[in-house]
Amino acid sequence: MTKRTRVFLGVACGILVVGLGTGLVTAYVGGFQNLVILGGDGPDELAYIPQDARMVAYANIREIMSSQLRQKLRDLQTTSPDGSQRRFQDETGIDVENDIDYVVASSAGPDGDAQGERPLMLARGRFDTARIENLIQERGGVVEEYAGKRLLTQTDKQFTVAFVESDLVAVGSPEAIHRAIDTKTGSANVRGNAEVMRLVRDVDTGTAWAVARFDAIGPRWSGALPSQLPPINWVALTSHIDGGVRGTMHAETRDEASAQNLQDVVRGMMALARLQVAQHAELAAFVDSLELSGHDKTVTLGFSVPAEVVDSLFLKRAARPAPAPAPGEHQEQAPPSTPAL
Amino acid sequence: MGVLRGAGRVFDLSLGQLLWSRRTIFMGLVLTVPVIIAVVERLLLISGISALRVNDVRVSGPTIFGLIIWLVLRVVVPILGVFYGTGLIADEVDDKTITYLFTRPVRRGAVLLGKYLAYLVCTVMVVLPAVVIVYFLVIPFRDIPGTFRSLAIDVGLLALGLAAYGAVFALVGAMLRKPAVVGLVFAFGWEQAAMLMPGYLSRVTIAYYLQALVPHAIPSQEGVSALLQALIGTVPEPGTCLAALIFATVVALVLGCRVIERREYVLEQ
Repeated sequence: MTKRTRVFLGVACGILVVGLGTGLVTAYVGGFQNLVILGGDGPDELAYIPQDARMVAYANIREIMSSQLRQKLRDLQTTSPDGSQRRFQDETGIDVENDIDYVVASSAGPDGDAQGERPLMLARGRFDTARIENLIQERGGVVEEYAGKRLLTQTDKQFTVAFVESDLVAVGSPEAIHRAIDTKTGSANVRGNAEVMRLVRDVDTGTAWAVARFDAIGPRWSGALPSQLPPINWVALTSHIDGGVRGTMHAETRDEASAQNLQDVVRGMMALARLQVAQHAELAAFVDSLELSGHDKTVTLGFSVPAEVVDSLFLKRAARPAPAPAPGEHQEQAPPSTPAL
Repeated sequence: MGVLRGAGRVFDLSLGQLLWSRRTIFMGLVLTVPVIIAVVERLLLISGISALRVNDVRVSGPTIFGLIIWLVLRVVVPILGVFYGTGLIADEVDDKTITYLFTRPVRRGAVLLGKYLAYLVCTVMVVLPAVVIVYFLVIPFRDIPGTFRSLAIDVGLLALGLAAYGAVFALVGAMLRKPAVVGLVFAFGWEQAAMLMPGYLSRVTIAYYLQALVPHAIPSQEGVSALLQALIGTVPEPGTCLAALIFATVVALVLGCRVIERREYVLEQ
């Protein structure tokens, strides 16, 4: 074997070893479970969410903000950015569009106790911690230490903020924050909840997704849902947001008969929707995109709002006449047009 | 001299010849295509240009990598198998240098075995690093934990594909006088047609077992081919695929060694 052959083989082996080694180490650091299961195992922040979570949701803010849909919405905004958003940025230093990568939200608590829920939100991004601490303290917040973490609590509002990692902020009720810190430091987290994780793995590919026990969200939607819905245990929603929106909603019912009933209900609602939107081509495209399927106890509804539909909706919105100015408000007079001859 | 020791000597001699041959330049050029695609994708990403879209659907890094793996597996690997595998013995016959190998004190089978191992090392050491480079160019770092498993499978799969195709075409090269044409017909005629035919014909191809192991979604097909795939497509179990590929490799090599031991090669004057 000549020297150049040995050199070539050495370089090729080096690339392979360095490449595969780097990948292996990254995979190990990012969660070795990724190597052994087909789906993702959810974001790292699940380590803060207690095992009895009844709702887990995720939104990739960065992807949403850089999506075409968002760009279109921004183009549609004729005025400067929303005043509340501007004020929020001035006060906290957080530019929602650029500083937040993603958000994970959860709600935990004993089954059947909607009042006892402990909502928690975790946001990964870049934050000016000193500025935020000052702001909360200025508004009457108190600083306390819990398990080595600084917590800023507004006792009157039962609201706590904690920078649990340098780039991760937790927001929620004081109990929820305490529990999240305890969960991270040792208690069983939601990854040990097989029911939730089975659904999380199914939906983890989306730009935004949510998994929830139906009884955790059902009461809030009671006005919008048919009163005689078959019993549903879990719902999971995933969406991919880009030029348009496409997504899938899974509902897991108590048994197969309930799943069949639910399919019938949804099928009826789809038929009704088709009748209602027959005159509106852009909405008809959305209704036509609905795909209903079922397997065992699961009913799946796929939907898609293509970019063209979004465009046509936005065009329609843009073509609407601007609202008339309030009486007394100054209105610029258009120059008189040349009289027709 | 034992078969393995003889094969080792032939391997040592052949590796350099194969590595610095015109075939390897060709292989380098073929593999430049996916690397260029990956570099362009990365440059677009760095320059802030909107991500690559197909039918208004954003094509993510892992999807692009999956498409590249399909390209390499369905096109590059069979091509390399044909060009290198069929030439292992046929080139020596064409160049009338096979006499020098046969007059050495090694068994004829060891000649084929040594050359086959040299082919395998040569192709694996060019293809796999290229794939790893493409992976790190295309996949965002944050996605590596979730996609590394598929890279590991891809690397193993490509090595297995090169081994299987190389062994089959080495057998063809040992048996036939002009094996390259037969090899091309097998790889791009028979395999493609058999994969679309109903029944069990697809099981007599290497592609059938290789494709079933690919961890990436198959690129969408349209028209008759998609319809046929949907109607007749069956996916074998991973264990079956691995066993079939290893079986094909070993059987092809053993048969190749038997052919070369028994065949009389007549050199044209």
